[in-house]
Amino acid sequence: MDETALIQSAQNGDLDSFNTLILHYQDSVFHTALRILSDEDLAADATQEAFISAFRSISSFRGGSFKAWMMRTVTNACYDELRRRKRRPTTPLEPETEDGEEIDSPRWLADPNMTPAEKSEADELEHAIQHCLDALPTDFRTAVVLADIQGMDYSEVAIASQVPVGTIKSRLARARLRLRECLRGFEELLPASFRLESESNS
Amino acid sequence: MKNFNDIELLSSYLDGQLNSADSVRLESRISSHPELASALNDLRVARGVLRKLPARKAPRNFTLTRKMVGQKPPLPRSYSIFQFATGFATLLLVFSFAINALSSARTFGAAAPAFGMGGGGGGPAATEAPVAESAPVEEPSLQFAAVPTQTASSPNADDARQLETATAEALMTKEAVAGSEPQDQSSVANDTVIPFSWQVILVIIILISVVAAIAINQNAKRKWQ
Repeated sequence: MDETALIQSAQNGDLDSFNTLILHYQDSVFHTALRILSDEDLAADATQEAFISAFRSISSFRGGSFKAWMMRTVTNACYDELRRRKRRPTTPLEPETEDGEEIDSPRWLADPNMTPAEKSEADELEHAIQHCLDALPTDFRTAVVLADIQGMDYSEVAIASQVPVGTIKSRLARARLRLRECLRGFEELLPASFRLESESNS
Repeated sequence: MKNFNDIELLSSYLDGQLNSADSVRLESRISSHPELASALNDLRVARGVLRKLPARKAPRNFTLTRKMVGQKPPLPRSYSIFQFATGFATLLLVFSFAINALSSARTFGAAAPAFGMGGGGGGPAATEAPVAESAPVEEPSLQFAAVPTQTASSPNADDARQLETATAEALMTKEAVAGSEPQDQSSVANDTVIPFSWQVILVIIILISVVAAIAINQNAKRKWQ
């Protein structure tokens, strides 16, 4: 796939070329949206919105990493979705007791499918990680999703997040630290290699 | 106690974002400070776990349709020609109606005092109307009167002069009454500055242009899809 040629054609209004780019990036764009929004339907909506918005503004793309530019678009779509969700709040993610106190490990209590007997370990680990991601501030979550899940380098993450590289470094460090703290609650789900390392260091 | 600057350095070190000098310095500190080694391991676990997350595939294709992005089919040049023809012919048609309406209004405005038309013109109409109405009545009497005068003109010159004056007045009145009708007819004929046939032609042009433009548009859409 000649990405540069496809981008140029898309900039001239060729929708077929842009659709070829979509087919190439849709998995990573959807995955990013899913990790930020933690909801498949919302992630699908944000992905579609991101691609529509990207096609309309592709003339503003001035070269560089197209993936970073695309991730910036989907990140913005996710932020819009989160703002909408904030304006129209639904069921709280963290259920509370009658006294108004947050329940520990609510995911396992709220979702009966999350018991280890019913789900494979991989699914449980994924849910555990998503739970910890959801607990992060949105900016931290975005940084960690783009850098650690999408494997983008700092400069690409900075472009996608529209902040300086220094800010990305700081957000990543804080996010990883918080994630590690959160994941301690799900130690038994971690792969053996991680568990052994952490146990030997604790 | 972990310093946040150290955490940031460790995180960057983990990602290979430190230059070699800073890396060497940090490595020596890590070897001498177990706290830093532990923090580095924590960060590594967090990053490693995230990287273990299975990649989720898109549940469907997100390819865009032309409708989704609001793209319109490319239309041939003939479409804009027909579009222009429709607009121009419509403008001309409206203009022709306006001109005809204006000219007829002006004609009626000029003719109104002579005919005594309109509810407001009761005064002059009331005075002039009997003259117009009495004229046909007077006409035959004058003609009848004129015939005997010609035969009996020789005996009395004064009578003859009076009769001539009366005849001249009667003729003038007759001309005035008779002249007003043809003038009115000609003004009605002049009301339509732009002939009706032209307006019909304009309407036909408009209809043809509209139909052609719609057909071209539909055809372009069908081809595009």
